[in-house]
Amino acid sequence: MSAVARRGAVALGGLVVAVALGFALAPRTSDAVAVAAVAAVAAVGGFVGSLPTVRAEHPALARAMLTVVLVDLVVFATAFLSVPTDFNLATGAGMAIVLLGLSFLTGASGQISIGNGAFMGVGAFATAIWANHHATTPIVVTLLISVAVGALFGLLLGLPATRLRGPYLAGMTLAFAVAFPAILSSFNSWTGGDSGLQLPNSVTAPPWLVGLFHAGTPTLTTDTLWLTDVVMVATGVAFFFMANLFASRTGRAMRLVRDNDVAAELVGVALPRTRVIAFVISAAYAALGGALWTLLNNSVSPATYGFALSITILAVIVIGGIGTISGAIIGGVVYAYSTNVIAWFVARTGLNPQGNLASQLNGIIFGALLIVTMMFSPLGIAGTIRHLRQRRALARERR
Amino acid sequence: MDSFLTSRVVTDVLSGLTNGAIYGLVALSLVLVWRATRVLNFAQGAMPMFATYLGMGLLSYDWPYWVCVGVSLVAAFAIGAVTERVLVRPLYGKPEINPIVVMVGYLIILEAFAAAIWSTTPRSLPAPFSPIDWKLAGQPVGLSPFSLFEVVTALVVMGAIVGLFRFTRIGLQLRASALAPEVSRLLGVRVGRMLTLGWMLSTAVGAVTAILVASNFFTGLTPQLMDGIFAFGFIAAAVGGLDSPVGAVASGIALGVVLQFVGDYLNSNAIILVALGILIVSLMVRPNGLLTRSAARRV
Repeated sequence: MSAVARRGAVALGGLVVAVALGFALAPRTSDAVAVAAVAAVAAVGGFVGSLPTVRAEHPALARAMLTVVLVDLVVFATAFLSVPTDFNLATGAGMAIVLLGLSFLTGASGQISIGNGAFMGVGAFATAIWANHHATTPIVVTLLISVAVGALFGLLLGLPATRLRGPYLAGMTLAFAVAFPAILSSFNSWTGGDSGLQLPNSVTAPPWLVGLFHAGTPTLTTDTLWLTDVVMVATGVAFFFMANLFASRTGRAMRLVRDNDVAAELVGVALPRTRVIAFVISAAYAALGGALWTLLNNSVSPATYGFALSITILAVIVIGGIGTISGAIIGGVVYAYSTNVIAWFVARTGLNPQGNLASQLNGIIFGALLIVTMMFSPLGIAGTIRHLRQRRALARERR
Repeated sequence: MDSFLTSRVVTDVLSGLTNGAIYGLVALSLVLVWRATRVLNFAQGAMPMFATYLGMGLLSYDWPYWVCVGVSLVAAFAIGAVTERVLVRPLYGKPEINPIVVMVGYLIILEAFAAAIWSTTPRSLPAPFSPIDWKLAGQPVGLSPFSLFEVVTALVVMGAIVGLFRFTRIGLQLRASALAPEVSRLLGVRVGRMLTLGWMLSTAVGAVTAILVASNFFTGLTPQLMDGIFAFGFIAAAVGGLDSPVGAVASGIALGVVLQFVGDYLNSNAIILVALGILIVSLMVRPNGLLTRSAARRV
């Protein structure tokens, strides 16, 4: 019996035992699937080779394994956390998807968008409008339609981007963000005007998906835990795709465009196409985040998707680390917990919580962090951590 | 003749000119900063807003109107100078998104501070002239003493800026520093000072605009006063070309007139949509603006 075969047999055996244990003990199917998935990851890893080998030789597989494990852990954790915490985490996860799109746009093309809050709104309203007109469409399909609509808007605004350089694109996306509320109220009969839209109760998910995350029969629009888990899985999928894109041929071409567009053109990268693709992808990601928010809140309001959201998005991704994948996760966490932290701070310092200063503290802190980050550490928290680790590695080598 | 002057078309043109003068001023202030330092200043609306609060706030202490206007301008000069020295100067030579992000952060922080100090409740500013339209045979003409004052002010400010650039020694130095900083420095121009001066001028032009907007649009003075106006001003500047002061002003005025017709004949929601459409189309046709001589980018 060869070493590989032996390792494979052990891995398979472990997998079977783990899956059996999971289904016997776990309260929900999703937990059992989560256990099984971790076991499968371990089995695959055991079969292919040690972890460093997998990372070096099969990076896509390693990323898939990492994604599965992380999503598993979060889905597990959500079952034990309180409902508000779950909701908060899921809101942050939806934001992280949006941030990932923006991070990609800047990391890949060196351009920036100040209008991603509006693209988020496009996805959010697309979901609500579609669900109200076609209540029987499975929710996964509705999400995909919303992403497509977001991509379409991105294409429309991105077309001039083929010929634009930084500041013009930023200004144009800003104009889009400012115009978005007017766009919504131009189509009042669809968007519900100032009051927005509710999701109809008849919105359905495919039975296998419901079964996966819930033991009983949930009402889709009220079960926070179910929704949280769906959002987490969607986030995992979004991150997995993006991590692969970053590392792919297209991703490399895009980084070259960012660093030196003339050189990129000389080695055969089609500049206009690359720029537009980056912009469309970032719009599609923003739309997905918005669509998930609609699902999570069971409703959508135009007030959420004003100009302020667009600049908040820019602020949290810069603080987290623009151009990096981990920066989007950090930014999502910062977004999810900023309100709580500021409320804690206000309570601690004894400020009048209804006063002008307390209500503006959010803007003052985000604005200041944005400026300080860009001046002193443009790659944000993620970049600073990476920098410190590299320095430590260098110091170790010298020793 | 009377009926012609009060007809819908003429009224729209006149009201459009008034709005256009405002857009043109915002566009001009953006161009001033862009030419001097190659920064698209997203806080271009917020900085003058802050200066206006500082100056016009003195009205509540019974200071005379025109003195308050003067204080606003001085505050604008100061804010422009400090901003350039402290926030913008360390960013020269950095990737072009860095100043964009810093200016967005500055926008957030200025609006938050203004709201924290003066609250978000609109403050009404007295208009120095009557904002009620002149009437011909009982019909409003679309022009009031105040809107005439607005247009005249805009033209005077634009004329002064153009005159300064064309005919004075300082103007020559400003242009030289923007076009060829190294050569200018060798020839003894204090380039750093000229860049600061560009920002000061731009913020002062912005303060004039902010005061006009706050007294005219029946909105009063609020921290978010300039957000919408900034978008129109940017569209005007981008359509006319960020490098061309005359182009920015001309396209601002044209934009004001066109949008007035859109608002009157379609509806008010269509205004920003049409503006966005104009921006997208014009950027696709002439990415560097309609009124600039297109220059090849140096590699």
